[in-house]
Amino acid sequence: MSRRPVDTGDPDRLYTITGGRSEAPDDLDLVSLIVSECEPARGMQSEHVRILKLCRRPAAVVEIAAELGLPVAVVRILVGDLLAMEKVTARHPRAAPAVAELPESSLLLEVLDGLRNL
Amino acid sequence: MAHPDASRPRPKSAWRHLPIATLVVTAALGTPVVLAAPDAARPWVAGTVAAAGGCLVLLASAAARLHRRLTAQLDRTLAESARQRSEAAYLAGAVVPEMTAALKDPTTAAPGAAGAVRGPAGAVRGPAGAWHPAEPQLLAVQRAVEEAVGVAQRRAAAVDGERRQAVRALASMSDDLRKAMAQTLPTAVRRLGEGASLETVRAELRLSQFANAHVRELVEAGVRELAVSERRSAAAQAASAKALSRVQAQAVSILADLRGMQDRHGEAVLGDLLELDHSTSQLGLLTDRLALLMGGRASRSWNKPIPMESVLRGAVGRIAAYRRVRINCSSNAAVSGFAAEGVMHLLAELMDNATSFSAPIDQVHVYVEERSAGIVVTVEDSGLKMADAALRRAEEAVSGAMSDLASLQGTRLGLAVVGRLAVKYGISVSYRPSSRGGTGVVVHLPAQLLAQQRTAPRRTAHELSAPPLGRAVAAAERTPSPRSQSADAPPSETTDAPTAAPAPAPAAPSPTAFAPAGDQGTGDNGSVTANGLPVRPPGRTMAAADRARTRTKRPADDRPTRDAGKSFGAFHRARLAAAAGEPAPSAEPAPSSPPVMPSPEPALPSPEPTPPSPEPAPFADSADPRHAD
Repeated sequence: MSRRPVDTGDPDRLYTITGGRSEAPDDLDLVSLIVSECEPARGMQSEHVRILKLCRRPAAVVEIAAELGLPVAVVRILVGDLLAMEKVTARHPRAAPAVAELPESSLLLEVLDGLRNL
Repeated sequence: MAHPDASRPRPKSAWRHLPIATLVVTAALGTPVVLAAPDAARPWVAGTVAAAGGCLVLLASAAARLHRRLTAQLDRTLAESARQRSEAAYLAGAVVPEMTAALKDPTTAAPGAAGAVRGPAGAVRGPAGAWHPAEPQLLAVQRAVEEAVGVAQRRAAAVDGERRQAVRALASMSDDLRKAMAQTLPTAVRRLGEGASLETVRAELRLSQFANAHVRELVEAGVRELAVSERRSAAAQAASAKALSRVQAQAVSILADLRGMQDRHGEAVLGDLLELDHSTSQLGLLTDRLALLMGGRASRSWNKPIPMESVLRGAVGRIAAYRRVRINCSSNAAVSGFAAEGVMHLLAELMDNATSFSAPIDQVHVYVEERSAGIVVTVEDSGLKMADAALRRAEEAVSGAMSDLASLQGTRLGLAVVGRLAVKYGISVSYRPSSRGGTGVVVHLPAQLLAQQRTAPRRTAHELSAPPLGRAVAAAERTPSPRSQSADAPPSETTDAPTAAPAPAPAAPSPTAFAPAGDQGTGDNGSVTANGLPVRPPGRTMAAADRARTRTKRPADDRPTRDAGKSFGAFHRARLAAAAGEPAPSAEPAPSSPPVMPSPEPALPSPEPTPPSPEPAPFADSADPRHAD
């Protein structure tokens, strides 16, 4: 038998964490910075508690996903829940006008070269 | 019936005096004749008369004797006939009825034991069987009758013997049957059920104790059939358990693969993957249920305590209508790893029942309550109330009383599984009417299934070991982290000693830059630059993300407060020790006493001795206090 003797993962399946949802809200992207607005309350879902604790300092969605070990889509759903409950706020680092002020690609390439030469 | 003449003496007849009378008559008649005769003729006449008289007397006496003889003969004949008649009458009236009676009732009247009977002549004749008539015909008749009676009696005796034999045989057979029913067969059933082989059981049963061959054969055949059916069911169970374990392994590996895909692929397919995940989880519940009934094992087992919330979610994820289940759990308790899978399975079965026996729009509520004696989980639906009989049956099933496969009814396997799990883990499951209108199931998890609250101390241990990594070492990415050192400590111990010593040097600028913040606020020392702008510590995200992905996940929340306090305390101690004189705390300040002391930087390695990591070893080697001094 090739059965593993023990399981090391978690028993929760992702659809039980999201309550069966798989559509993330559109207004959150990977680098949206999330900041918690309140302390976790008793009886909250444990992922929400962890997000709230984690976002005492601003943290990007992708960072939360890495910390929680969950797919980004799931984290976006969870953060969307918290946003809807107004327990966190999201800041979008790339506002529309800022796109125009992005540095030139040649400059970025130069920076990349410099980084590689480090 | 005696003849009248035979019984009384015949009167004396006149025949006896006949010769004398003749003599007298002859004398009377002859005397005148002789007197009348001339003298010359007188002697002749006298002689003639005398001769004639003599002849007459002789004749008369002969006649008288003949008559007497004839009379005697007649008497004898009469007596004989009377005797014969009486014998016949006796034979017919006493002997034959006695024989007949003996024939009719052979047990009470054995032949020859009829007792004394008065014979025809009034004499005691003894037992009728011992009496024989003198008359040959009668004797023949008696013999014939006796023979017939003897034959009949012999036959009766033989039949009687056979009957006794049959009664004995019947008694022994019923004895055997009773023994077989009361002793042998139950023992055989028990032993075969325990898995003993047919030969063993047959030897143990001592079938030779049965006197009756038929019973012996019957019992043997029954035991043989029983053994075959036991073996068949055991083989079927083993085969299905084996096959199911393969299916279980497949399902588990599919789940693992799906989890990997959910991580790898984007949102475009996440919904589909979740659907697949859900179907596979339901499949896992089905196979687990069957495997448990077949004596197999659960598909998964956990090597760590599972928090109650995860247990409930793991349970709810296995049923079809998981969206209808509302989990209300604020407990921080965790179920021990060995019992977690069983508890999950049990709760999944109960939730499955609750969702399938309530209206598809109604919700099923699950409450968790911590008690001193364990945890109470209540599954309440608002569906149809269970009928009394169904409730009784359900309670009987969940009590584990129906552990035999034979008591399974149709497709209702879930409650039988609940019963088995409850018995296995000592969980009590009871039904009660729900306040929501349906049925409530109360599950009490005893305290021995719950893990001690080890999660919190372990997290702080993580956080204690994290600070040097987060601040001092993670700042310089080239510096090996404590984890990597602990991972490959033995080979790199000698080579690390030189590298570890200069390592703080390049890292020195950044801690010193943040040192004021760390000293003042003991809060986030890396979040604010001199200009007051928020700054992410260089490399922190990358490092944290990398760590989270590659090694164990370590919580990064509230790390700054704890590690700052800790490191400050260590720094404080170290400085006190340095001020009071070098050797004050013997081993504690050892890492903090390298010559590069005066900056706050030594505070960074100082907390490292407190967690039991192999980290201080290279430092202790290179910076032994006596060496340093």
